[in-house]
This record gives sequence, structure tokens and C-alpha cells, in this order.
Amino acid sequence: MNPHAKLICTVSLIMGTSITISSNHWILAWTGLEINTLAIIPLISKSHHPRAIEATIKYFLTQSTASALILFSSMTNAWSTGQWDITQLNHPTSCLMLTMAIAIKLGLVPFHFWFPEVLQGSSLITALLLSTLMKLPPITLLLLTSQSLNTTLLTLLAISSTLIGGWMGLNQTQTRKILAFSSISHLGWMIMIISYNPQLTILTFILYTIMTSTVFLSLAQIKVLKLSTLLISWTKTPMLNATVMLTLLSLAGLPPLTGFMPKWLIIQELTKQEMTPMATIITMLSLLSLFFYLRLAYHSTITLPPNSSNHMKLWRTNKTLNTPTAILTALSTTLLPLSPLIITML
Amino acid sequence: MTYFVIFLGICFMLGVLAVASNPSPYYGVVGLVVASVMGCGWLVSLGVSFVSLALFLVYLGGMLVVFVYSVSLAADPYPEAWGDWRVVGYGLGFVLVVWMGVVLGGLVDFWKVGVVTVDGGGVSFVRLDFSGVAVFYSCGVGLFLVAGWGLLLALFVVLELVRGLSRGAIRAV
Repeated sequence: MNPHAKLICTVSLIMGTSITISSNHWILAWTGLEINTLAIIPLISKSHHPRAIEATIKYFLTQSTASALILFSSMTNAWSTGQWDITQLNHPTSCLMLTMAIAIKLGLVPFHFWFPEVLQGSSLITALLLSTLMKLPPITLLLLTSQSLNTTLLTLLAISSTLIGGWMGLNQTQTRKILAFSSISHLGWMIMIISYNPQLTILTFILYTIMTSTVFLSLAQIKVLKLSTLLISWTKTPMLNATVMLTLLSLAGLPPLTGFMPKWLIIQELTKQEMTPMATIITMLSLLSLFFYLRLAYHSTITLPPNSSNHMKLWRTNKTLNTPTAILTALSTTLLPLSPLIITML
Repeated sequence: MTYFVIFLGICFMLGVLAVASNPSPYYGVVGLVVASVMGCGWLVSLGVSFVSLALFLVYLGGMLVVFVYSVSLAADPYPEAWGDWRVVGYGLGFVLVVWMGVVLGGLVDFWKVGVVTVDGGGVSFVRLDFSGVAVFYSCGVGLFLVAGWGLLLALFVVLELVRGLSRGAIRAV
């Protein structure tokens, strides 16, 4: 891609995100969201493949609709209460419209249909940006207004997102679509706890960003786009495949790894709030996504077909040093013992 | 005055109906002109005359003119006009959606269209939109720069999307 265009898009992404997360006025928040949408359009359509163009169009239409809904909700609130403060969203219609608009922006069920297709149409690094950076402004808006929003609706969105994210990921063979459904499932966990303890939503989001960035960067390094490629990729960098396995199990939420921390704390908070059936349901639904994480981990570390384990490692001339992946892998597998410290900082 | 505002509202809806049911863009633009003129009139009735004039100038005088010029370069010789049964179907569908909205919206307060004129507070009788624009250029210059960057970004994004002739984004589909 043209370096000047890439620079403008990257700078605008950072600027749009910063504007939205630091704003107090609805118009400024909306402006940041629109700048983000505009800036990522050329990045999605970078390869000019028809699938990428279709992904761009789908992304643009859904995000624009959601931004318009955010504008309508803030204007309705301003018409009835006379102020544009994000934290003071009191009008019930505004709260409902905002919840739906943020659900469209994030890709929560029942507005999740665009997300796997957009992720499949973009490159792995753009998919990383779409899953992590582009989720930050809408989650910030939801956190700021979380006290005014309808708890039942949020719980319903959360449970259905975890269900659909787990269930639909089971039949996927393309890694980007698997990671899209994993994202939907994790967003369900984040939305579940937002009315009771928004700090846990922030914690879940940060840890999810670390873990999913690790997976995307690792897969981008070995250029793996589907399960069959993952199966034979161990010959390129055996150590990376071992760490991908650990990171995937961390995303699944298995105990000695970092991913267990948000699930543990969320279940604890839900139980404290007398929502034990909800905690049970959402934990059981995470078992669905555990299956495809395990399948990915198995494909990543299998050494039998088509090469035998005493086969020499593939000869490579350029050994790329990938420091961010290494740091993020360490963070996404070993942070659980630090949970007491993290809880005191919440 | 109230009847005039309601007439503006009805004509706005008819203009939007014309846009939604357009058989080809050349006829849809007519509806867009009518809708934007009525919208500007409605803004004047609410008291914000400067914003209404700015919208008129930029929308009709800028964007629609550019649209008409670029579309006329690629015009087909026999465009489809109103009077086809498919077009009537679009129109009926749109009327149904608007009717549903009015019926459901009648249950919520904010659909009451009042004629409210906002003037400046205290001893100043300047119209709010004039003083608002003044603030936009003086104290609120940060938002001005952000809005300007947003518009420039839209331009750069469109240029990047259509760059490359046959290898570009539009031709690939």
C-alpha cells in the first residue's frame, strides 16, 4: 500500500480512538468513531480482492448505521434533558438505542453477522486491528453509560453472544473466522459483567487484547490462514507452535494460564450479585468455544502427518526477530499468579 | 406558521419518498433537492438560520452540483422513469415504513414538533447558531481542527479506494 496513505490511515486510527475515549460530549465521541471507520476502510480493502472489497462494504455499512443510531440516541437525550454529557444518559429510549448501536459496533449477537466475514476478507494484521483497537471506543462508551443501561438486555446480549460465538465457531476451518467467533464469545463475557463491576470489563478487555494479539501476530508470522496450513507449520518454527498452543488454551480460559483470571473474577462477581444461574450458563457455554480452541491447539502441535518427528526443521535464510510476539506471549500465559496485585488495582 | 412547518415536513417526506423510489439517479436527485430545500426551511423555522443557509450552500451548491456533473458524464441514453410498477412498489414500501414510525412514535414524547425559537441568553440577543459558529473558530478550535481532519480523511480515503484504474478497488468487483 502507498506509504503516505498508510501513514494517514494509521495516524487517523490512533487519533480517532484517542478522541472517542477521552471525550465528554457525544458529538466528539461520534466524530472519533467516524474517523476510525473512515481510516480503516483502505486498510481492509488493501489487497483489492473481491472478498476484501465486499468485507469493506459490509464493515462500512454496519458501522455507519451504528454511528447514526448513536447520534440519534444522543440527540434524543439532548432534546429531553438539554445536555450532551456521555455519563448522564437518562432518557430510556436513548439508553435502548445506544445499547443496540454499541451491539452493532462490537458485533454482539444478534448483530454479529458482519464480523466473521469482515475478518475473513482482511489480512491477519488488519483483522488484529479490527478485533482489538476498533473495539476500544465502543466499549469505552458502554463503560461510561453502563449505570443507565437495561441489565436484562445486556445479560441477554451476553448469553446469546457466548452461545453463538461458541456454537458457530465449531464448524470453521479458517483461522480468521475462528478468531472472529472467539472475539464474539469474549465480548459476551465482557458485556455480562458491565452493569455489576465495570472494572472487570476493562480487565477482561485488556487481557483479551493481549491474548488475541499474541495469536494474530503468531499466525501472521507463520502465515497460517487455515487449519490445514497450521497442521504443517510446525516445521517452520517449532517453538512458536508450542507457544501458540499455550496462548490458545489461555484464550479458552484454562487455569494455570492468564485467560482464567477474567472468567474466574466474573463468575465470582456474578455469584456475589445472586446471579448464580447466569454464571453457570455462561460457563457451560464457554465449553463450546473450548472445543475449537483445543482443536486449534492440537493442529498446532501435532507432529505426525505428513512429516515424522525426526524430520529436520525447514531451512530458512531470514530468521525474523519478533519481540512484540514474545512479550505478548509471556504476558498471555503467565499473568495469573499476579491476580492479587491486579485485583487491588481495579 | 404551524401549518407552514407541517407543510414543509410533508414535502420533506415526499422528497425522501422520491429519493427512495427513484428509478434512476437522475430522477432521485430531484427528490433530494426538494428534501434538502424543505429541510433548510424547517431549520429556519427552528431559529437556526445560519446553519440552514450553510447547509443550502454546501449541499445544493456543492455536493449536488458535483454529483450531477459526474453522473452526467456516465449517463445512459434511455433511463428508466417513474411509472413502472416496480417503482410504485418501492413507494408503497416506504410509505408503510413511515406510517409504522409515526404510529409507534406517537407513543413517545419527543415526536411532538413544537416551534421553538432559541435566542442567546442574558443580555445578548445574538442567535445561538451565529455565536456557536464564532465559538467554533475561537475557543473550540480543537473541534474545528478535528472536523477539518475528518473531512480531509474522507477525501484521502476515497482517493485511496479508487486509485489504480483497473487494479483499484472499484474495478475489482
